Amino acid sequence: MGEDEGSITLLCLTASSGVPLFCRSRGTPSKHQLPFSVIGSLNGVHMFGANLDVLLAATCTANTRVAWRVFHNSITLIVLSSEEGASDFTLGRLLDNAFSTMVLILGLEELVNVRNIERLKKDLRACYKLIDSFLGPLEKTGDLTQCVECVPVPHGPVLQECLEAFAGAAESRFGCLLAGGRLALATDPWWQLAPQELLLLTWLVGVLPPHTTRDYPVYLPHGSPTLVPRFWKPLLEPLQACVRPPPPGAVLPPGVLAFLLVNGEQRSSLSSVQPPGSRGEGLSPRGRARALRHFYALVTTCYFPWEGSPAPLQEPFQAGFPHRAQHCYVVSATHKAYAIHAPQHQLFLLLAPNVPTFALRPLATRALQRLTEDAAC
Amino acid sequence: MAREPAARQEGEVAGGGDSSSESGSCSASCSGDSDELEPEWLNSVQKNGELFYLELSEDEGETLLQDSSSEVSAVNHVRFRENEAEVIQEGSQKERKYEPRLKKFTKIFKKKNLLPKQSGKKGTGGGNGHSSGPTSILKHQSTQKGGVTIQQRYKDVCVYVNPKRLPNAGAGEKVKLLEALVGIVHQSSWSSRKAGDQNRNNKGNNEEKLVVHGLVPGSSAIKTGQILIGDALIAVNDVDVNAENIERVLSCIPGPMQVTLTFETSVFEHEGTSQQRYKQAQSIMNNLVKLLWGEDNMDLQLAIQGMPHIVMYLTLKLDSETSKDEQEILYHYPISEASQKLKSVRGIFLTLCDMLENVTGAHIISSSLFLCGKLVQVVYCKESDKLLVIGLPAESVPLSQLRNMITDVVRTLRFMYGSLDSAFCQVENISCLDHFFNLFFQRAIQPARLNSNASPSVQQYDNCSALLLDNLPAVRWLTLPEEIKMEIDTALSDLEAVDFAELSEDYYDMRRLYIILGSCLFYKGYLIGNHLPKEDLIDIALYSRHYCLLPLAAEQRIGQLVIWREVFPHHHLEPSEASDVTVYREPEARYFLLIVGLRHFMLCVLLEAGGCTSKAIGNPGPDCIYVDQVKATILHLEGVESSIEERLESPSVPCLSCADWFLPASRDKLESFTAPPILSKLQNKIATSPTSKRTLFSDSSLRTRKPSPSRNSGGSDNGSEGPEEGGGLNPLATLDQVQKHERKESQGSRGSEGSGSLFKVNKKKQILPNPFHLGNLKKSLSEKDMELCNAIKLTSGPENTLFHYISLETMQGIFITPTHKEVQQLSGSIHPQLIKNFHRCCLSIRSIFQQTIMKEKKKNSDSGSNSESRKASSDFNLVREHGVLFECSPDNWIDQKKTPPTMAYWVVGRLFLHPKPREFYVCFHDSVTEVAVELAFKLSFGLAT
Repeated sequence: MGEDEGSITLLCLTASSGVPLFCRSRGTPSKHQLPFSVIGSLNGVHMFGANLDVLLAATCTANTRVAWRVFHNSITLIVLSSEEGASDFTLGRLLDNAFSTMVLILGLEELVNVRNIERLKKDLRACYKLIDSFLGPLEKTGDLTQCVECVPVPHGPVLQECLEAFAGAAESRFGCLLAGGRLALATDPWWQLAPQELLLLTWLVGVLPPHTTRDYPVYLPHGSPTLVPRFWKPLLEPLQACVRPPPPGAVLPPGVLAFLLVNGEQRSSLSSVQPPGSRGEGLSPRGRARALRHFYALVTTCYFPWEGSPAPLQEPFQAGFPHRAQHCYVVSATHKAYAIHAPQHQLFLLLAPNVPTFALRPLATRALQRLTEDAAC
Repeated sequence: MAREPAARQEGEVAGGGDSSSESGSCSASCSGDSDELEPEWLNSVQKNGELFYLELSEDEGETLLQDSSSEVSAVNHVRFRENEAEVIQEGSQKERKYEPRLKKFTKIFKKKNLLPKQSGKKGTGGGNGHSSGPTSILKHQSTQKGGVTIQQRYKDVCVYVNPKRLPNAGAGEKVKLLEALVGIVHQSSWSSRKAGDQNRNNKGNNEEKLVVHGLVPGSSAIKTGQILIGDALIAVNDVDVNAENIERVLSCIPGPMQVTLTFETSVFEHEGTSQQRYKQAQSIMNNLVKLLWGEDNMDLQLAIQGMPHIVMYLTLKLDSETSKDEQEILYHYPISEASQKLKSVRGIFLTLCDMLENVTGAHIISSSLFLCGKLVQVVYCKESDKLLVIGLPAESVPLSQLRNMITDVVRTLRFMYGSLDSAFCQVENISCLDHFFNLFFQRAIQPARLNSNASPSVQQYDNCSALLLDNLPAVRWLTLPEEIKMEIDTALSDLEAVDFAELSEDYYDMRRLYIILGSCLFYKGYLIGNHLPKEDLIDIALYSRHYCLLPLAAEQRIGQLVIWREVFPHHHLEPSEASDVTVYREPEARYFLLIVGLRHFMLCVLLEAGGCTSKAIGNPGPDCIYVDQVKATILHLEGVESSIEERLESPSVPCLSCADWFLPASRDKLESFTAPPILSKLQNKIATSPTSKRTLFSDSSLRTRKPSPSRNSGGSDNGSEGPEEGGGLNPLATLDQVQKHERKESQGSRGSEGSGSLFKVNKKKQILPNPFHLGNLKKSLSEKDMELCNAIKLTSGPENTLFHYISLETMQGIFITPTHKEVQQLSGSIHPQLIKNFHRCCLSIRSIFQQTIMKEKKKNSDSGSNSESRKASSDFNLVREHGVLFECSPDNWIDQKKTPPTMAYWVVGRLFLHPKPREFYVCFHDSVTEVAVELAFKLSFGLAT
């Protein structure tokens, strides 16, 4: 599996001295790790350019993409990816998330003013798990959309009450309930955190070893990158029983292999690669996830520009359509995909190849209607 | 040399083409006449045999010139068609472009030396060759009374020179101080030396002017920025200099100091106020033509100067022996501040290229850099141990397109020079390459400014459109009625047979020089006839596209265009993979490209020497007989010009709608205070259509010398006309007023057309929109016409909802899209925007298709060894169809209370890989059901006739 999906390597170096801090990779056998000379030259070309005021951002060869980014003049991140669907957009998001992870766990101060490199190296180990989760083949899409992934829950109001009571007891305004790595419920102040923070916190819980309770200090990359709010991870046994959410998308028309619904205002998303009624058809769940992620990246870079955060390597040429794109579809050998840009929502659908092309549009419109009716997101 | 203030020299007036235009299309008389007269282009042939001769014709200029000097027309009458008096601007190109007009006289005399070599065979053949005595006198006279004058102006430039920093020259090699010290390259030209030897140069033989032929990079001369190529150095610190004494003068400079150089620059000006009109007309074309002639066009240059753009040819092999500065740079262009930065980071390109290839095992494709906050894309092409790098700002060219562009550049350079190495590593090519890349960047960064001349509908064809259409691996094809096509094909075949009298092998008892491999004919930039394999066609198309020949021909501008050069068509030179003995092997031969343009026609011919013909020795220049013959073919085809024009004027097949028609509110609003544009358009069309009909039925058939029966029995004639007409009116049928007009028109035409019965039949057909009602006609129609009929209306439903389309036949190397005229007819406020958006969207759709094609290729190539899982995993990127729905509303919506009406339309691209690769892009209104799209795709087969 790993072989045909290509490999991905993330390098972290100090920007000033070029000392490698860590190197995380997936898909490459450990002995094939990049030799230091390569790491050195990759960093070297970037540094040389920066000295001459030429900022090297990306390079691609026939099978590999490389992207560079310097954060706060102190940390250089370099990513090499030979994955099929890698694009400037996905790599840019990866670098962004990786650095935010480092801030979340170590705090910005630590990263900007590096005093003891050896200590920093040790501290950074704490980030590995979360960073690795961004490298791995993903079924989720939150890293790309930078939206928190939600899950609809039954008995919402009752649980909401419970949650608020609990948050109050913990002397915090921020509280949320996660189910299966996705957000089920949250207190109102929780939603006021930056979307990326929400996402990272959710993912962080996902990678922590299972415990009933957990006290974990975190820094918020956007809200308070230098303060240390404490983060609790309560796992509520009684709640777990009732949070057996029905898989979202029970209402979807047949033929839908996977979907992703993004709420542009709330910056939340709802997605599934295994909606009921789609089992056994066409692609494997992992294949669907990859196809959906690829489609999302394509549509977002080309047609539906994100008002909020432009992708770092957005080509100025791409953004210049004189008319606004509303819908978009792709027919490929293994699937069809359809995207709708509604005022509030964006819907990305993956459909079985046997769905006729002319039926895509009504089908997608219906799906959007049903999903937004649920109002879970 | 005496310095006369504002020395004047008259330009010349000469006829277009040769006298063959006078004698119609008879090839014999044509070449007969040209034996006595020598072609104008002959003196522009370069040492290496290459020729790029461009001469404009100017209708407006004609009358003016005849007014101003009646003698001229008298002279012209002897030699040329009266109504074809043309102004020849200095038409030489490349090296020759730097020669001042004063050399014109020199050239006239020089011809004699050229001639035996050029047309020796012809001379032995009993003809009187190209003896030029009387001609040159004639020419001489005609030059006295031209309308163009050149004013010589002087300018002083201060440069800093340091004789102490001179590089050491090898023993015995004389240092050229002018080059080493000042940085001015002057090549004492071969031509003038010859002329000088004969002591016939009327300007004084020994005092050859010091014309600036080039500037040494990094030298003080180039740093001033004021010395232009083509200037003539006439004094150093007020000491008159010429080729004779310059080295002596310069050697007197004792040490580092500032010297004042005086240059003479030529400024073209036209005489008299009566010629203002002419001048204006001229300026429309100026940008492109000036660029082609290689004149410094500051206007164009300045516009892109701030843009960081560069081309570099770097070597990865370091030679520590030579101590040259910047030795890893074999070539770079341009020398500007903005590109300097890109040049300074060449280390990045070299390192990345080398390192990433080692690490990933694949060649490097592209890089993205931020330069002063601007995103610059860099693409690479590696050939053995050399690296070609091209960088352009991302705002002008998207990366996917830039990749196509470097592929095209490499292909064109290989076509012209054989390989990148031979293009870049030879010193004599430098100025050609500078010109080449100047054109390249102009085309890339501001294509609209160059193409604006091609079509008056500038607004429709902005940068995106040019980017898309100019980079398709195909040529724009114009579908023509069968009979015209046949006529063209016959003419081309006749030419290709190389069977004209002078060339018969028996006649001269020697092998002919070349055989013609194939030819292709362009009219106004549209391909209308092709007898070349696809690869050769693309090679030639890329070349002509690069030199902007196609937009040039779209204007009534080309008096005469003759291009001749040795080429290296990949298709013939590369042996096919299967080195089987039984497989046909291309002969070891040399290939030459001959392009002749007359007015709107341009005929490209690929010649082969050395296969079954005699071997080409040295650098043969263009052979007059071949040029004449090609010219004769064009002249012969002039008869069909009107039919082609007719086709261009006629409404498109399939018919198109204008986007503005679908915004009902805006139409009402418009109607309330002015006549709606649609309506006035209609009236225009109606007014013109009966007359155009008449010309078709009388003129064209006469000109093409068709026997009259074909007119009457021509079921096919009617068949192909009827639908077109019907198609034009069909979209309008949605409007009420239209029907009124239609009725009026049919009445009117019945009245105007005397023999109306035939016409009535036509009219009936128009009224029936259903193509199946043509059933009884179909029998008489050829298959292709039938397809045309079916393709009238691609979309289903009562209204025609098709806005625009592009059909790319990758296999044949052609694409079809509505003509400029057709687009123009649909002008509205939204429609141009829509087309722009369509093209932009096609760019991104096409880049996705290209990925698919690439993957498919890869899959096929390693299908022998691969596993099934591999196939399955990469499949999800194999995009077949891609569509985007756009929404738009009128721009200037005044009514604040109501929300502006919106109109939604689809842009859909479809890739077919089987049976033959094709790409198809359509733009249609949202209201159509998507099944119709499938229909549209299917019907598109009918387009590519």
